[in-house]
Amino acid sequence: MLLDDLLDRRLVILSGKGGTGKSVVGAALALAAAERGRRVLLAEIDAPLEASRYLGAAPAGSRDTEVRPGLSVVNLDPAAVMDEYVRHAVRVELLARKLLDSPIYRRFFAAAPGLPELMVLGKIMVLEEARAGRFSSRPRYDLIVVDAPATGHGLSLLKVPLAASRAVPVGPVGHHARRVLALLQDAERTALVLVAVPEEMAAVEARELHRAAVEELGITPRALVLNECHERRFTREQEAEIRRLAAAGASGRLAQGVGLRAALSAARRHLRRRKLTQFYLTQLRRSLPLPIVTLPYLFDEDIGPSSIERLARRLEAA
Amino acid sequence: MRAARSGRGSRALAAALAERRILVVCGSGGVGKTTTAAALALQAALEGRRVLACTIDPARRLATSLGLAALGGRPRALDLSGLEPGARGTLWAMTLDTRRTFDALVEKHASSDAARRRILENRFYQQVSSALAGSHEYMAMEKLLELAADERFDLVVLDTPPTRHALDFLEAPARLMGFLDTSVLRWFLRPYFVAGRLTLKVATRTGAFALDLADRVLGLQFLQDLSEFFLAFEGMYEGFKQRAERVHELLRGEDSGFVLVAGPARATLDEALYFYRRLREKDMPFVGLVVNRVHPDPLAETAPAPRGTADLDPDLARGLLRLMEDQSRVARRERRGIGRLAAEVAGRLVVVPELEADVHDLRGLREVGQMMLGGGGSRPRRKRPAELQAQGRGR
Repeated sequence: MLLDDLLDRRLVILSGKGGTGKSVVGAALALAAAERGRRVLLAEIDAPLEASRYLGAAPAGSRDTEVRPGLSVVNLDPAAVMDEYVRHAVRVELLARKLLDSPIYRRFFAAAPGLPELMVLGKIMVLEEARAGRFSSRPRYDLIVVDAPATGHGLSLLKVPLAASRAVPVGPVGHHARRVLALLQDAERTALVLVAVPEEMAAVEARELHRAAVEELGITPRALVLNECHERRFTREQEAEIRRLAAAGASGRLAQGVGLRAALSAARRHLRRRKLTQFYLTQLRRSLPLPIVTLPYLFDEDIGPSSIERLARRLEAA
Repeated sequence: MRAARSGRGSRALAAALAERRILVVCGSGGVGKTTTAAALALQAALEGRRVLACTIDPARRLATSLGLAALGGRPRALDLSGLEPGARGTLWAMTLDTRRTFDALVEKHASSDAARRRILENRFYQQVSSALAGSHEYMAMEKLLELAADERFDLVVLDTPPTRHALDFLEAPARLMGFLDTSVLRWFLRPYFVAGRLTLKVATRTGAFALDLADRVLGLQFLQDLSEFFLAFEGMYEGFKQRAERVHELLRGEDSGFVLVAGPARATLDEALYFYRRLREKDMPFVGLVVNRVHPDPLAETAPAPRGTADLDPDLARGLLRLMEDQSRVARRERRGIGRLAAEVAGRLVVVPELEADVHDLRGLREVGQMMLGGGGSRPRRKRPAELQAQGRGR
């Protein structure tokens, strides 16, 4: 259901506090969409390692590269995007080179507030508009999944076009900013998806992100993915038995070299985490007018392609 | 890992809390950086110092950590008496309001009333000073200078904004200096960018070329607004530059230290390592690395071998074993990552186990702090911070 709704958009932007596993969720979402036959681009911003590693591919570069059938990955490095934009705007390579090589340009770009963000969003817009071929009306990508960086407010990337269009009403920068803003605010084309984990800080931030997105950006988030949920592994009777045994201080050997006491504290840890999962899930359901999809905590040896495939199946079933 | 918890890492943290004047707490988002900063500040306060915990995170998480609804832009003293009757030190807390700091800076340093108004009313300024990424870091630097000179505090613990690239904060002064470098400014302050004079013919060919390129890439209006913005700041640059240099010096000095914070996940450990290397390259004072929320390995518990077989329903027994294997796999995954880092940071690493509950009050913060310093909490107490102080600096 979530997937159906998101697949009708062109752009899915994942936003949430750092450490909520946005990259993992992004990779799983992109994979799930690709397995439905969509041509998908997973765009990371200035983070060359994560998504590609999760998908078992070499680190993504600044050119979109297909890593699985129908699934491409790109790492949008703001400086590289800016260079590309300069080349595009100036056209004459020699002149562009002269500008790109100048230390003034480098310093300006490094310090001009908001310009890197604007460039990255502009590039995403260009990718959204890209066609499959020269004479094709079909888009190159059916869906672009953007893993927004967890900087500042979590929304600071998305705030830039609004700020820029106010600061610079005319000229290419303002024009550019307004077009990006229009894309972001268009609920037909763009879905903002919040990512959280069942923890106090992440839940607080998810609610704050929701409020700020609606009030400050005019964007209503589409869904919330609650990642790293601890799911039920014991029946109610077993849980009661665990509590009873723990309270009674039961001991003995569970298996070769494994004591029951250690098992019971592991089980109590699990029950506590499960309780927290339930608590924050209920709390977020009550406070946010959004569909919430849960993804399980991963106990894998290493978070890699098989983990992502499992999460993708969960998104498919959600 | 237990050894690491009460070893060099803890000693280095305790020494820094006792002696330094500025601790900058850095790390990527979601690793418990704010909680770590607040817990360290609280420990120093409980040891008798006058400490300010300053967060510049606009999500105001420190407020949550400290059990306060909202922290203002001014330092506010917290009541520690409920936590420890007769506490000698004091803990202050505040958040950095970027816009207000920027405004205050303009108020204080503008050359005239007219210049002040020109800046505060500049469209570009109004957006730049509050909304855009990057300005937080600039302002944190400015605020840090002010706080470092504030005699109310012996120690300032500065939480930094959550960045994917934790280095942004560290590099903000250098970027600012690069930006304010005269050659860049001269370029922006060329008379043809001044309002109303845009159509003037450009004197040199290079100038014409630069202008033409700039127009195509960014648009003249943008540049004009920007140059107006810069012109309005005229007379303040030298001060900016001097302060940026002073912050840089301050942070490199003996009285400052960087505490890195990471989580046990590979991505955040990788980032911490990267950050650590950059600190070394820049000859910045590294204090220690705190790895938060590390999971225990239930299969590695070293309790005496139990006697007798437990009488348990076989399904439940299997479920328990599977759970232990799962948790153990996570613990080993984390331990591998931490082990790689420990060698590189010469053991100056503190492992904080995952806590029973979220930390959102002073009591919880104290428990976290005691764990970092190698005692208290649910763990056996190893060394009291007072003893650690006597052992000298951990640098």
